[in-house]
Amino acid sequence: MDPQTGRSILSEILFYAPNTLELVLASMVVIIALGIGLGYISGMRFGSKVDSAIRVFYLSTWSTPYYLGALVSVLVFASYIPIFPSGGNGTVGFTYNSITGIFVLDALLEANWAALQSGIYHLILPAATLALLSFGIVPRIMRSSILDTRWSTHVKAARARGLEEGDVRRKHILRNALIDTTTVIATTFGWLFSGTIIVEQIFAWPGIGQFSYTAIVSDNYPVLVACIFVFTVGVIVANFIADIIYPLLDPRITLGEGG
Amino acid sequence: MSSESKRLRRLLMSNALSVFGLVTTAVFVTLAVLEAASFGKITPFNPYTPNFGSANLGPSLAHFFGTDFEGRDIFSQVIAALPVDMGISIAVVVISAFMGIVLGTLAGYFRGFFDEVIMRLTDMFLAFPQIIMSLAIAATLGPSLLNVTISLIVVWWPPYVRLVRGAVLAVAAEDYVSVSKALNSSFLYIVRKDALPNVLPSVLVYATTDIGSALLTLSTLGYLNVGIPAAMPELGKMVSSVTYNLYLYPTQVLIPALIVMLMVAGFSFLGEGLRESLDVKLRPHILMRGRGVEKPESGRAKLPDPMSVPTRQQQ
Repeated sequence: MDPQTGRSILSEILFYAPNTLELVLASMVVIIALGIGLGYISGMRFGSKVDSAIRVFYLSTWSTPYYLGALVSVLVFASYIPIFPSGGNGTVGFTYNSITGIFVLDALLEANWAALQSGIYHLILPAATLALLSFGIVPRIMRSSILDTRWSTHVKAARARGLEEGDVRRKHILRNALIDTTTVIATTFGWLFSGTIIVEQIFAWPGIGQFSYTAIVSDNYPVLVACIFVFTVGVIVANFIADIIYPLLDPRITLGEGG
Repeated sequence: MSSESKRLRRLLMSNALSVFGLVTTAVFVTLAVLEAASFGKITPFNPYTPNFGSANLGPSLAHFFGTDFEGRDIFSQVIAALPVDMGISIAVVVISAFMGIVLGTLAGYFRGFFDEVIMRLTDMFLAFPQIIMSLAIAATLGPSLLNVTISLIVVWWPPYVRLVRGAVLAVAAEDYVSVSKALNSSFLYIVRKDALPNVLPSVLVYATTDIGSALLTLSTLGYLNVGIPAAMPELGKMVSSVTYNLYLYPTQVLIPALIVMLMVAGFSFLGEGLRESLDVKLRPHILMRGRGVEKPESGRAKLPDPMSVPTRQQQ
């Protein structure tokens, strides 16, 4: 029971969690695409100006505190150049049946295009902010594992066998580098969840992050404990998914017995 | 000649990141030490005395970063906050690294039961998301600098144990350690002479970047108003105390946050630069960077990569 609202904490968590999941998954898409892409380019063009530029970019975004990034993006993209809304998740004014609890997904399932548009419109800025502020470690590890593999003997052997350069890069360099990167992407979830506390509060996004922020500032310990539990479960699930992905990337790793 | 000067410039460019990191870090650490050693005498204004006649001023020559809603000089407040921010983050990382070296060496050297207990404990702590866990501990312990430091150390030490254990395992398998053991060297002697010299560089590199992460987490705790005592100046807390002024006076809010970013960037650039220059595998490629197989079509790829065979396109 939530001592401040009188509702059961579970029902509150079930209301807020899908919104956070929506935000985190949307940022995850950005992180995976941007992180792997930039890390690959940076590693393959080691030492060039492009490499330096990418490194400065991801190291700086990684060094940016969540509150700075979120405040700046609200200030710039919602106030100075008002192309995005400054807060909310776009549900206001729409009636919809909560099937999954994730607004964008619900709108899509019901083919409610106006709601879908509003949902995505409200999602872009917070998701992009959260993603940019958390993704730094992904290209960093991607880059260093590319550097580890691209001069290794098995790549040289592949070239000596006369494989096409594209095949060497895709199957021998990229695929090997993705193994370490998968681990790191799973750990990024921890950062993302922590980030939601700040980002959701600044963007008025009704998720677990804002819920726990309110719990922290009002000393509402039962709710805080519940939120930490949800976050921890989220991180563990993310690591579990990473464990499932490994065998797809590395044939030496198998699930369960044998192998 | 031109290729020689080019190579020189490339080497310098490769260090530009670390040079920037070194300078930034040195400036901030020096300011923090001076501020702490002089008991707050180096700030141009008193950071705590309100002066409503000069409230909400923009940046100027008198007030480099402007003043806040009570007319307090923001530049002075930033300097007053440096010892707290720097001190706690460095303390957290140093203590965690020390714990990591002790536990990791024990686990990696003795193996067996020790190893199992220490590593399972480490795994357990690694499962929790860092910021959230330290947030919970700091919120429960109540505001004090010691409590904040403790809450950060609790989540900060596990990666060091893994790092050190891995390195010690590798060293312990070397022949010279077996020889040393056969010569009846004591555990401490082997650790001091064989293990530590191999372990310390990687710990140092990791720790440098990690001070930045600690700073980031600390200032986030400050922003959430958790753990830092009310009277203590802290950069994250400064930001959250004026957030409502964002649209009217953005500099008040953004400048302390930018200082945090600059400090963190300094540490992570320095760590990244150190890591790269200490990596023996990369050294030949740093010298030959930008040439060879990756750009066969550009025409300026005359010198091949030192460790690769020519590709089809080049033939």
